[in-house]
Amino acid sequence: MLLEIKNLQAQIDEKPILKGLNLDIQPGEVHAIMGPNGAGKSTLASVLAGRDAYEVTGGSVTFEGEELLDLDPEERARKGVFLAFQYPVEIPGVSNKLFMQTAVNSVREEQGLPPLDMFDFDAYAKDKIELLEMHPDLLERSVNVGFSGGEKKRNDIFQMALLQPKLCILDETDSGLDIDALRLVANGINALRSDDRSFIVVTHYQRLLDYVKPDHVHVLYDGKIIKSGGFELVHELEEQGYDEIIKQYRHAKAD
Amino acid sequence: MKLSNNTVMRRPIKEVLNKMSKKNTRKVSPVAQAAVEHYVNLSEHVNLLEASADVVDARKRAQATLLKQAFPTQRDEDWQYTKLVNFVQKRFEMPSLNAVTHVDLNSIQNFLPPLLPDFEVIKLVFVDGLFCTDLSDDLSCLPKGIFIQRTHERLQKTNDLDVGDVLHSDDVLGNEPFVGLNQALLQDGFEVSVAPNHSIETPLLVVNVQTQANQISNVTNQVQVAENAELTLIQQFVAFEGVEACTNVVTNIEVAASARVRQVVLQQQANEGFYFHTQFVSQADNSDFNTFYAGMGSVLSRHQNHLLMDGDHIENSQNSACLASQKQVVDSRTDTEHNHVWGASRQLHKYVLADSAVGVFNGMIKVDRQAQKTDGQMDNKNLLLSNTAKMNAKPQLEIYADDVKCSHGSATGQINHDQIFYLQARGIPRNQAIEMITKAFLMEPVETINRPEVRHWVGDVLSNALLSGGYFSRGMS
Repeated sequence: MLLEIKNLQAQIDEKPILKGLNLDIQPGEVHAIMGPNGAGKSTLASVLAGRDAYEVTGGSVTFEGEELLDLDPEERARKGVFLAFQYPVEIPGVSNKLFMQTAVNSVREEQGLPPLDMFDFDAYAKDKIELLEMHPDLLERSVNVGFSGGEKKRNDIFQMALLQPKLCILDETDSGLDIDALRLVANGINALRSDDRSFIVVTHYQRLLDYVKPDHVHVLYDGKIIKSGGFELVHELEEQGYDEIIKQYRHAKAD
Repeated sequence: MKLSNNTVMRRPIKEVLNKMSKKNTRKVSPVAQAAVEHYVNLSEHVNLLEASADVVDARKRAQATLLKQAFPTQRDEDWQYTKLVNFVQKRFEMPSLNAVTHVDLNSIQNFLPPLLPDFEVIKLVFVDGLFCTDLSDDLSCLPKGIFIQRTHERLQKTNDLDVGDVLHSDDVLGNEPFVGLNQALLQDGFEVSVAPNHSIETPLLVVNVQTQANQISNVTNQVQVAENAELTLIQQFVAFEGVEACTNVVTNIEVAASARVRQVVLQQQANEGFYFHTQFVSQADNSDFNTFYAGMGSVLSRHQNHLLMDGDHIENSQNSACLASQKQVVDSRTDTEHNHVWGASRQLHKYVLADSAVGVFNGMIKVDRQAQKTDGQMDNKNLLLSNTAKMNAKPQLEIYADDVKCSHGSATGQINHDQIFYLQARGIPRNQAIEMITKAFLMEPVETINRPEVRHWVGDVLSNALLSGGYFSRGMS
């Protein structure tokens, strides 16, 4: 088991958002988390990555058998948890090169590997820049400064390609992307799919899932997973919307 | 970081600001009065050694204004946040002209090299404010077109030279108390002139090293760059560790038509030191002046540019990067006068403040009625690393022309938590993330230094000051 979430409860500003969420992820699996706005999708992504605005009030998350919630965000990242942000952040004056060389070497340190010097790093980054069709001068530019929304998201996937994480959490990575950017992002994700790398794809829509076929699909509502299934669930949602599933859930709960 | 608060003015704006009111009857504390008398006495001592009547007279005039004005207090608007309470309690002594012979040259020779740049320079070394021949390059074999002499020598030649440009009028002495003090104690400094059409490739480095406690380095400099000539000037102020001393500098810079002057000033004195530097810069047609100030260290420091743009198509930039921690006060201010058409001035001033440090920025752009097509931009951005650090910023515009583009802005904030988390989420430890963001913030004005070797060196000096200055070892919110 790569990730095991048990009865996870979390709140922000004393408002409960996750209310007993359970999820198991095996290595190599792609899980889609879908749900209406306000269901707690982004909260789940943030709690897993360790954003301190969220307070975990109950439950547990184990990552490769280790309690994830006890770790600082940077320790989680070093152990192989990656969050692609819904809104990647701009950092003026810090170049992508300095940022990612530092990040890659942090992860390598954790793995007991020697650091990459600037030449090794450039060579390592070159393929990934081409894969995501980023600007050739990407590494010299400040992190996300002056980037369009699509470029920012591609930059996050570029970072994911460099860091080679074990668990990739994509938080609404498809939102705001035009069709070309969406294809590039999907290519980037698919290029990383492997037997020992798992994905949590958090999304409101089906779009990205047409390119990145999930093994499991979960519907998140009111802080819990109310329905799980295979790819067919995506089509069901597309046709019926969330209302039908929510209605069934409420009906079942009332019984 | 959210740092945008600019106002752009394109319409005529008449903003008459109250001039600093100089009252004739000032309340001066007994301590401050005693400090004034101490420095007037020092000045008299220097006068005893002086042969030239003109110089004696200049010191006497400065003594008179000092006695009349005393040192500013918090009631003086320009000194409201830059308190001299500690300064007036000190009685700094001045080394006499023979003192350098008593200085231990070995200890300076061991101390200086790691602080100096590794690229080629013309080097002048001042020890406690006095020119040191032994540590400086030979002034008789300089590149063609540059002429350097010490101020002391120049003052001896007043019979055949006009001292008017070194000395200041009573008005200036009255308005700028540390210029008054400087003239009262006028003794040494450097004078550099560059002949027309000569570009001096090798930067001129002038280092003042403070070796003795309780001493004042009183330095008066004159820089004249003639028509179509070019000079890169680096002024570096350093001190032995723990030396509580004062450095009071006045630098006059004349940039003739089509001349280019690049200046870097590094204030790296010991934490116990005081630093006052007043610059008077005048620019003629088509000239370009670029100055960068880095303020690091010193319990109280104040760096000030008075920049007169007395010609057409003048360009300049004034930038600074200031660091302060503990209870340090770092003050940087500019006073820029656009007096003719098509002038462009640029300014970016950045401060990083930790602990209970206080930052002061005061910038004024004045646009004369004649100065149409002026393009003046002044920006001040400040990063507070603690909840107790304080920034006082006052960007000002005074515009009398109606076809100008001027903007001024100031913003102060703390590090954005989303930025920190973003770096953490990529495996970078929190402390290192804060360091990276802070350093990137501080380095922005360094990019305006156009010679790469100077830019890299200044970047390293600043970054070392930031990373080794204890800015990140203490707890941060």
